[in-house]
Amino acid sequence: MQSGQIPILRIGTTLLASIQIELRDTTAQSFQEDVLKAIEKSRSRGLIIDITGLDMVDTFVARILTDTGRMAKLMGTETVLVGMRPEVAATLVRMGFSMQGVHTALNVDEGLALLAQLQGAQGRA
Amino acid sequence: MNKLGITEQELASRRAYFQLTDGDLTRLAALRPFAERHNDAIVDAFYQELILKHAESRLFFTDQATLQRAVAAQKRYFLELFSGVADLSYMENRLRVGTTHQRIGVAPKWYLGAYAHYLRLISDRLLAEQGPSAETQEKLRSLQKIIFFDMAIAIETYIAAGLDALARHQAAIRELSTPVIQLYERVLLLPLIGTIDTARAMQVMENVLMRVVERQAKVIILDIAGVPVVDTRVANHLLQTTEAVRLLGASTVLTGISPQVAQTMVQLGVDLSKMHTRASLEEGLELALGLTGRSIRVKEA
Repeated sequence: MQSGQIPILRIGTTLLASIQIELRDTTAQSFQEDVLKAIEKSRSRGLIIDITGLDMVDTFVARILTDTGRMAKLMGTETVLVGMRPEVAATLVRMGFSMQGVHTALNVDEGLALLAQLQGAQGRA
Repeated sequence: MNKLGITEQELASRRAYFQLTDGDLTRLAALRPFAERHNDAIVDAFYQELILKHAESRLFFTDQATLQRAVAAQKRYFLELFSGVADLSYMENRLRVGTTHQRIGVAPKWYLGAYAHYLRLISDRLLAEQGPSAETQEKLRSLQKIIFFDMAIAIETYIAAGLDALARHQAAIRELSTPVIQLYERVLLLPLIGTIDTARAMQVMENVLMRVVERQAKVIILDIAGVPVVDTRVANHLLQTTEAVRLLGASTVLTGISPQVAQTMVQLGVDLSKMHTRASLEEGLELALGLTGRSIRVKEA
């Protein structure tokens, strides 16, 4: 298991992870750990996971991504999954895996806007 | 060739079914000198007595050059019956001829009628030359076998071409049945008209997802006012599409829900609460604009 394969960038209080390589079981798991460590270190409020580069997402990877979002939430960080490809979405839904509870957006820009909105709502609450 | 799925294995089973044995092929090869001697006369008679006599088949030969080319091709075609082979390349050759006939509009009746006439012409000559012996009967039988073998290929070419055209039309209809329209910046509309079966539902989902990403749409309105029957199956397809659209980061608004559809959905226990739903397209548009941070307002006088 090798960590640090997927760079996690910090922009203000937001973390941005852009997955450009095929996620295998081990890379997916180390990615999850890296993300959580980055959240701990940076005290970020939002996380954007960009999966534009993934043309295949199996249920295992989908579960890791969903779980990562839930874990981040426990640490006070909202997660938005952006850039899912049409064929990936179609396949996941057909397999009955619709990643309930994960926020989604079309692209990184939209993801940032959604995070701002979510954090605003949280701030008011 | 691939279109008809003809492989060595298929060729072998075909030859077995038509009982076209190596013995037949040898007999046909032995007849080649006879066929060559009579070929010109037979093909000429074939054209004079049949093809040029009928107004409809004469239409294929508008000028002398075309006729000459056809006669020459015909001569080669008939001589190939006596080549003593019936392998894949032979079939391929026959297939090509069938495709050409089909393309220029030679209907199966012309092809079959002409082949029957050819068989009569050549049988008459064979009987006249070699007498009605058992051996001649054998030769005629071999000839009949390969001609029927040929005709099967030709007919299959016609059918394959018909199926091809049908598939193209179906593709065109499918394309037309899922027209995604951009209503406003980042708002798309898919008016669904007609019955939705599983194949079409899949097509709808794929098309919707593709367009949403392509146009970076925030909202897609699915209008089902034109769908005659909305049952559990259709509802499930719509729910799946909604979930997939959500995964992309966009929303779905379902409009055109008639009182009858609303009743059916609740009675069937289909939970559509995860979807934004509205009775009319008008209200759906207002909702969609709201989701993109816009609204329609009345101009002040």
